[in-house]
Amino acid sequence: MKKNLIASAVAATLLAAPFAASAGEAELLARIDKMAAEQEQLKAELKASLQKTAVIEQKQQELASAAAPAIAAATTPAPSAAIAASGPTTIIGGYGEINYNRPSKNASAAQTDVRRAVIGIEHRFDDKTKLVSEFEWEHAIASATDSGESAIEQLYVERQFGNGLRGKAGLFLIPAGLLNTNHEPTAYYGVERNFVETAIIPSTWREAGVGLSGDTDSGLAWDAGITTGFDLGKWDAASSDGRESPLGAIHQEGQLAKSRDLSVHGALNWRGVPGLLLGGSLFSGKVGHKTEGYTANDARVTMYDLHARYTPGLWDLAGVYARGQISNTAALNLTLVGNPTPVPKAFAGWYLQAAYQAYKADDYVLSPFVRYEQYNTAKSYEALPQGLGVAPQADEKVTTVGANLKVGEGVVLKADYQKFKEDKTRDRLNLGVGFSY
Amino acid sequence: MTAVLLALTACSGGSGSTSTSPVTPAPGQETSLSEAAKLGELIFKDGSLSASGTQSCASCHDPAAAHAPNNNLAAQFGGANGDVQGFRAAPSLRYLNQTPAFFFAADGTPTGGFDRDGRAASLAIQGERPFLAPHEMANASKQDVVDKLKKTAYVERFRTQFGAGILDDAEQAFNRMTLALQAYQKESPEFHPFDSKYDLFLAGKVKLSDQELRGLALFNDPAKGNCIACHPSARGTDGASPLFTDFTYDNLGVPRNFKLKANANPAYFDLGLCGPDRTDLLDRNDLCGAFKVPTLRNVATRQAFFHNGAFDNLTSVVSFYVRRDTNPEEWYPIGADGNVQKFNDLPQQYRKNVNVSEVPYNRHPGMAPALSPGEIDDVVKFLGTLTDGYKLNP
Repeated sequence: MKKNLIASAVAATLLAAPFAASAGEAELLARIDKMAAEQEQLKAELKASLQKTAVIEQKQQELASAAAPAIAAATTPAPSAAIAASGPTTIIGGYGEINYNRPSKNASAAQTDVRRAVIGIEHRFDDKTKLVSEFEWEHAIASATDSGESAIEQLYVERQFGNGLRGKAGLFLIPAGLLNTNHEPTAYYGVERNFVETAIIPSTWREAGVGLSGDTDSGLAWDAGITTGFDLGKWDAASSDGRESPLGAIHQEGQLAKSRDLSVHGALNWRGVPGLLLGGSLFSGKVGHKTEGYTANDARVTMYDLHARYTPGLWDLAGVYARGQISNTAALNLTLVGNPTPVPKAFAGWYLQAAYQAYKADDYVLSPFVRYEQYNTAKSYEALPQGLGVAPQADEKVTTVGANLKVGEGVVLKADYQKFKEDKTRDRLNLGVGFSY
Repeated sequence: MTAVLLALTACSGGSGSTSTSPVTPAPGQETSLSEAAKLGELIFKDGSLSASGTQSCASCHDPAAAHAPNNNLAAQFGGANGDVQGFRAAPSLRYLNQTPAFFFAADGTPTGGFDRDGRAASLAIQGERPFLAPHEMANASKQDVVDKLKKTAYVERFRTQFGAGILDDAEQAFNRMTLALQAYQKESPEFHPFDSKYDLFLAGKVKLSDQELRGLALFNDPAKGNCIACHPSARGTDGASPLFTDFTYDNLGVPRNFKLKANANPAYFDLGLCGPDRTDLLDRNDLCGAFKVPTLRNVATRQAFFHNGAFDNLTSVVSFYVRRDTNPEEWYPIGADGNVQKFNDLPQQYRKNVNVSEVPYNRHPGMAPALSPGEIDDVVKFLGTLTDGYKLNP
């Protein structure tokens, strides 16, 4: 029985890791976090057992190779032999959300939108090599005369090495904050993604390049990589895009991305205590790409965050602090004087969020939550001659109160109200339905 | 990830990014021209191809005046005796190589095209009219032009380039002449040198003076000059140098210029897109009075402004933009009824087409103009940085 328990736990953990980006759900994540910690204990026990008998050692090898097919739910006990025996597999997943926003002071601006529909295809070539892809449509219709977008959100291959490291190459998500790599509607509270992780961290933030990941026995997971970065040449000081999200306005998303300057990133996430996740990330790269005659070739984007999530009992507590900087923009901003949106020197934000599983019946789970966030997409600018600069923005403070009603494992109904401290015209009621499978 | 909707800017929807790939040879660098372009240059500067025997393209598009007229006449004179006045102020030929052929953008905004009404689809087509127009080079026919070409010193080079029998077919030969002119204008860096002080400023090689910087800020500020609404000043997202035009059209209600002889006829109105020169949009009443937004590069070298040459100095032009609606009496005559005849170069029924909604036009008498006299001077000073041929440490 103990062997079965070990097998289940290890298999579940191994299954959870590659599928984390699409498994979604807050509760599931919480459980995975707990299980990750439990797994560490079990690993230790397993090690001890392995030293004792060759039979168990053989078993352990089978389990190690069972990392492959990641289709079953993370909690489903997976017979190790069956997994080990499986060949190439292709898994189709997906998620989507349809949202309704009603500004409380301007009901005529109420809007309903098929925010996104995503199809994910994961193909496992063998037990060590897989392809992850995600294809997305936003705003229902993408055509030359419509507002929608069609995008490839992820497209990378990942290989597990013998030493436990994982390498990947292609277009992949930058491991920043809590939401970027877990952005399915079932994975976060509130109809809309939080502002800190959209306006400051430009979720869904992906770059093309190579990355390496690994874990330590102490529950520490790390990521590092070299990728494409941002293109400051895309900055349009006459539009408001840069004010909504500085990095969102200059991201390249793997589309003919300028690559003269590459960026580096690193992330650490520690799950050493059951239910607790502590982490941080750093991303940095120049963004001028040696463009001829460009005044900001030395400009650099640096983005970092600290995040925490704690899921004791029925509680789900989370917090993120993120700060971005764009350096060496004074000369560029001088050429843009008078425009409403010069390039900011710094932008930052943080939030705290608490959710509580208040009601559970059958497969319905109701979790009210409250989130308070402060963010500022233009916290400061580099100095300009007297009278020509733009004043830094005030921090926007947003309180979101609402609830997620989960139906089964893959469907969520959401409702919340958002109150803005600075721009009160943005106060709004949001309703949404989302799914993930 | 939110889809970005292009915010429609001024000129009834000209969008922001309008520059395309720049042709930016290093200043002073002579790019070798194709033989067709070299022939185009010879034709461009050859006065013998006109009825008067003295007028060439360069007469009205003087290379020394940024390929625009070197005088302050409302319209240039042409014809066999050089005494026939034209109908519009000749534009500069600089920076036209990236102009697209005329089209209606997805939102209906008229865009692109050559001539002030966009009726020519290319530089080559644009080059046809001056040879034949009675008020310009005034040749009787294409055959007439080709006959003159046959007498030039470079006719053998023309034959070598375009075929031994090319001159036997006047239509074809004339077509090649205009293609050669187009090649010259597209290939020769003198038409698009991108070597103004502003270009060097964008490249971080020179600083603007305090007044020029203030002028740039006012030019860009959507609440002040808002000039960038039609005259983008920033590099394109592809890094292209700004052209200071978004290729759209606008109806500014420019005062009638009685220095134009054609305007002596009270029934004559130059309505731009809807005629009379352009004939395919005659029924688009909503477009009557709209003219193409020109580049502002080299604007400080001009001595006649707008399609009808109603202004002869840049300060007045900038003043007109910001004071047209706050102080219309400064620009339009007083009618017999004692009222200011605002927008008097348009028939009454088309005056509603004039742009009165955007900054800086969105005002009425009694309000303060968008720019003070000092600020107008600042903008004019800035516009001076758009003149080609700036020399570092002159």
